[in-house]
Amino acid sequence: MSRFLRRLRLLVGRGRFEADVKKELEFHVAMETEQRQRSGQPADDARRTALRDFGGVSRIREEVRDARGLAFWDAVVQDLRYGLRTLAGAPGYTAAAVAILALSIGANTAMFSVLNGVLFAPLPFRDGQDLVLVQQSAPQSNRANAGVSIQELQDYRRRLTTVEDLVEYHQMSFTLLNEGEPDRVDTGVVSANFFDMLGIRPELGRSFADRDDDIGAEAVLILSHAYWLEKFGGDPKVIGRVLEMNNRAHTVIGVLPDYPEYPRANDVYMPTSACPFRASAETNPRQGHRSFAGLRVFGRLAPGATPQAASAEIAGVARRFEQDDPQDYDRWNARGLTGEALPLGEQLVSNARRALYVLAGVTLLVLVIACANVANLALARTMRRGRELAVRTALGASRGRLLRQLLTESLLLSLVGGALGIAIASLSLDLLVAFVGRFTPRTGQIAIDGRVLGFALVVSVVTGIVFGIAPALAARRNLSSGMRDGGTQAGESAGRHRVRAALVVAQVAVSFALVVGAALLLESFYRLATTPLGFETEHVMSAAIFGNFTSQATMADSARFEADVLRNLRTSPGIRAAALTGAVPQSAISPDGTTVWLEGAASDGPRQVVVDQNYASDQYFDTLGVPILAGRDFQATDTMEAPAVAIINQSMAKLWNGVDPVGRRFTAQLMGGAEATFTVVGIAADYRLYGVEQENPAQYYRATSQAPGSGSRLLVRTDGEPAGAVPAIKAAVHAADPDTPVEDIATIAQIRNTTQLAAPGLTAALLGLFALVALTITLTGIAGVISTSVSQRTREFGLRMALGASRWSVLRQVVGQGVVLTIVGIVLGLAGASFFSRLLSSFLFETPATDLSAHLGVALIFLAAALLAAAGPARRATSIDPLRALRSE
Amino acid sequence: MAQKSDLLQGTLDLLILKTLALGPQHGWGISQRIQQISEDVLRVNQGSLYPALHRLEDKGWVASDWGVSDNNREAKFYRLTRAGQRQLQLETENWERVSAAVARILQAVS
Repeated sequence: MSRFLRRLRLLVGRGRFEADVKKELEFHVAMETEQRQRSGQPADDARRTALRDFGGVSRIREEVRDARGLAFWDAVVQDLRYGLRTLAGAPGYTAAAVAILALSIGANTAMFSVLNGVLFAPLPFRDGQDLVLVQQSAPQSNRANAGVSIQELQDYRRRLTTVEDLVEYHQMSFTLLNEGEPDRVDTGVVSANFFDMLGIRPELGRSFADRDDDIGAEAVLILSHAYWLEKFGGDPKVIGRVLEMNNRAHTVIGVLPDYPEYPRANDVYMPTSACPFRASAETNPRQGHRSFAGLRVFGRLAPGATPQAASAEIAGVARRFEQDDPQDYDRWNARGLTGEALPLGEQLVSNARRALYVLAGVTLLVLVIACANVANLALARTMRRGRELAVRTALGASRGRLLRQLLTESLLLSLVGGALGIAIASLSLDLLVAFVGRFTPRTGQIAIDGRVLGFALVVSVVTGIVFGIAPALAARRNLSSGMRDGGTQAGESAGRHRVRAALVVAQVAVSFALVVGAALLLESFYRLATTPLGFETEHVMSAAIFGNFTSQATMADSARFEADVLRNLRTSPGIRAAALTGAVPQSAISPDGTTVWLEGAASDGPRQVVVDQNYASDQYFDTLGVPILAGRDFQATDTMEAPAVAIINQSMAKLWNGVDPVGRRFTAQLMGGAEATFTVVGIAADYRLYGVEQENPAQYYRATSQAPGSGSRLLVRTDGEPAGAVPAIKAAVHAADPDTPVEDIATIAQIRNTTQLAAPGLTAALLGLFALVALTITLTGIAGVISTSVSQRTREFGLRMALGASRWSVLRQVVGQGVVLTIVGIVLGLAGASFFSRLLSSFLFETPATDLSAHLGVALIFLAAALLAAAGPARRATSIDPLRALRSE
Repeated sequence: MAQKSDLLQGTLDLLILKTLALGPQHGWGISQRIQQISEDVLRVNQGSLYPALHRLEDKGWVASDWGVSDNNREAKFYRLTRAGQRQLQLETENWERVSAAVARILQAVS
C-alpha cells in the first residue's frame, strides 16, 4: 500500500484516527501510573507525575498529526471553510464570477463533448481505426466519386494485398408488403460478410451467410433495430416471418442490435443476390466492366498496411481497369479512373472537422475572456480586502499561507462554476447534436462521459489557478502598505490599476476579433439566404413518387402512370401547375457531367462540351416560374415515338456562339454508353437549380415523357397555402396507382432550409451567440474597471470640483477612460480579427474576410457599448458632493 | 534526549525498529525495553516516542494492530514490516560505520 493511500485512509476515517491516538496515549499514561504505584507512589500522586513527565498531550497529538501528513489537509479544510464564508459574504462578486465561469466552462465542456464524440472517439466497430472506404474518382470525366462496379469489386478482391475483407454496400428504396400493407423501406444491399466485418452481431436470429449471396438463393432480410421496434413492436417471433418485396417472398432471418448504422441508417438489409437490379447486372455479362457502378466498398487494412500504401495499390489497379478497356471507361464517363483508401473515421467527419475546430477555438477564446474578466473582479476585491489581508499577516499568517487562501477561493469559484457549467453543457447537448448532425453522421457517441467530466475538472482547476494568480501576486506585493492606510488609497494601487486596464484591453481585443468573425458569418448567411434564385420556392410543393415495380413493369406502364398523375393533378382545384422532374431544385444534389456534341456551333464540325443533364415534364418551367425565352415548352406530342427533344438553358445556348440554337441538334453520351440525339425546342432562363454557392452550369432538360421512370419527383405550384394541396397530391397519385407511396412532401423553400441554409445558419447563430457572450462579459469588465477607478478617485474628483472644475470635464475624463481602453483594445484586436476571419474564409459566401463595413460596424458597436458601460460610473462621478468627498477620509 | 535533532531522531528510529525486531510491542513497552536493555543509560523522551512511531508507520516501516496487553488492557501493538526490516538493516550498517569512524577519530586524537 502506498503512502498516499495510507494517508487518504486516515483522512477518510479521521474521527477514528483521532480517537485511536487518544486511546493510545491514555494507555501509556495508565501503564506509567501503574508502574509508579508498584514502586510505592500513592495513586493520585503517581498519575500526576506520570502525566507531568509525559509532556503536553495536545502537543504530542499535534506532532502525531504532523508525522502523518495531516497538517496540510487540516489547513486545506480551514482554507475552504474560510473561503466559503468570505464568498458567502460577497454575494454579488460570487454570483458574477460563478455565472461568467459557468457559461464559459459550460461552453467549453459542451464543445469538448462534441469533439470527443465526433473526432476523438474510435469508430464503434471492431478495429474501427483500420476500416477504409475504397473510393474511385474519374478526374478526366470531372467526377469526384465514380462509384465501384461489380466487376471492379471482384478484381479488387483478387488483386489487393493491402486491403482485406472487402465488402460492398448500396442503398435502394423498395416497397415491402407486410400482410398486404405497402411500406416504402430504405434497404441496405450488402455483402454477406458486411456485418461480420464491422463486428456487429444480430440481436436476434442470424447474420447473412455466404450461401445467402449465391445467385438464386432464397431471399432473406435482416431488420434494423428501429424498424423492428416500429413495425413489429419488438416481437421476437418475427424471425422466420415471410414478407413480400419486389414480387418475391423474403424471409426475416435476423434483427440488428441498436448501433449507429453506417454509412447510413436503413430499415432493412438484404444480401446482394436479393437486389433485382444488382442481380440482373451481375448475370448479364454484356454490360461490361463498369456495369452497376454504384457500389460503396469498404475494407480493412491488412496488418501493417497504411492508408497511403493501400491508396497507391488501389490507384494502380484502377488504372489497369481503364487500360484494359479504354472504350468502356470512356463510354461510362469514367475517364482517368483512379482510386484511394480513405480511413472511414476521417471520411465520416471530414465535413465537420473545420467547423468544429473553429467553434472549439472560439469557446476557448471565450474562456480566455472570462478568465481575464474574473481576474479583474478578483483583483478589485483583493484591493478592497487589503486591510483584512494585512491584519492577517500581522497576526502571523505567512505570505504563502495567504496566497494559498486566495487561490483556494478562486478554485472554489471555478469548481462551482465548472459544476454549473457541466449542467449547462448537458442541457445544451441535444441542440449541439442536432447542429453537428448537419455535418457528420457521427453524432451517436456525443455524451457527457468520464472523459468530458475529467476535461471539465481540469479546465475548472486551470481556470481557477489562472485567474487566481493575478490577485494573489498583487496581494503579496502590497501587504506591508495595506495596514497603514487600509489599502484603498489610489497612490499605491496605480500599478494594480495598470494590470486591470491591461486585462480589460485584452478582453476587448479578443472579443472584438470574435464579434468581427460572427458579423462576417452573419453577413455571409444573409447574402446566402437572400441571393435571388430565379424561381419560386415558397409556393411549390414537392414529393417523391417512386413507381411500384409490380404495377409498372414496362416503360409503357410508367409512361401511362406519369401521364395519369399529371392529368389528375391539373384537374384538382387550387393547383395552378404541376410537373415531374428527376430531382427537386435545391435538394442535396449536384450537377452531372454529360459530354455532348453541338451541331452548328462551330464551322469545323460538332463542338464537344460537358454539360448537366436533367429531366422535366411539360409545365416544369411554369411551375417554377422560370420563363421560356425562346421556342416552346415540352408538349403532349413529345412521346417516346416522336423525335427526341430538349430544352436548354441560357448558359448552354451561349455555347452555340451566337447561332440561334432552337431547331439545332446535339448528341449526348448517356450513362450506359448509348448515344442519343436531341433537337433543341426551347431556351429557358438560367436559375439556381443547385445551391447558390455553385455557378449555374450549362444545362439541358430531356422530356420525362420520352424517358418514362425518370420523373420520380413531383412539383406542384399552388394558388394558396402549399400544405393545403397535400391531400389533392396524394389523391392524384393514388388514383393513378394505389401501390405508389407519396413521400418526402415539402416545399422547395423547406428543402432549401434543410439542405442549404441550416448548417451555415446554425454555425453563424452559434458563433454569434458566443460572440454576444464575449461582448457582454467584456462590457461588464469595462464598467467594473471604470467604476472602481471612480470610487478610488472620489476624493480627487471632489477636490477638483471644489476648485472649480466643471462636471463636464469630470464626465469627459471618466468616459474618456473607457473609450481609450476600448480603442486600444480594438486596435490590438484588429490583428486577431484578421487572423480569425482568414480562418473563417472557407465558410464565407460572397463576403470578403477583410470586409470593411463589418470591421467598422463592430468597432462602432464596441465604442457605443463602452460609452454605455461608462455611463453609470460617470454619473456617479459627476454627482459627487465636493464637501462630503473631502470629509470622507 | 531532551532536544530533538536529526541525529537523535534518526537514532530513536533505529532503536524503535531494533526493539520491534524482537517482537510486536506497544509504545510503553518499547520505551521500557529500550531502557532495560540499555541498562538505564538511554531514556526515551516519551513526548517524541509517539510522533516517531507514527512517522515510521506513515513511511510503512512499522504497522499496528489493536491487541490486549499483559494486564488485560486494550493497547496498540506495533510490528516491523518487511520494508522496516530492510530499513533496520540499512540503518544498523550506517550506524556501525559512523560509530566506527567516530571511534577511530577519538583514538587518533588520544
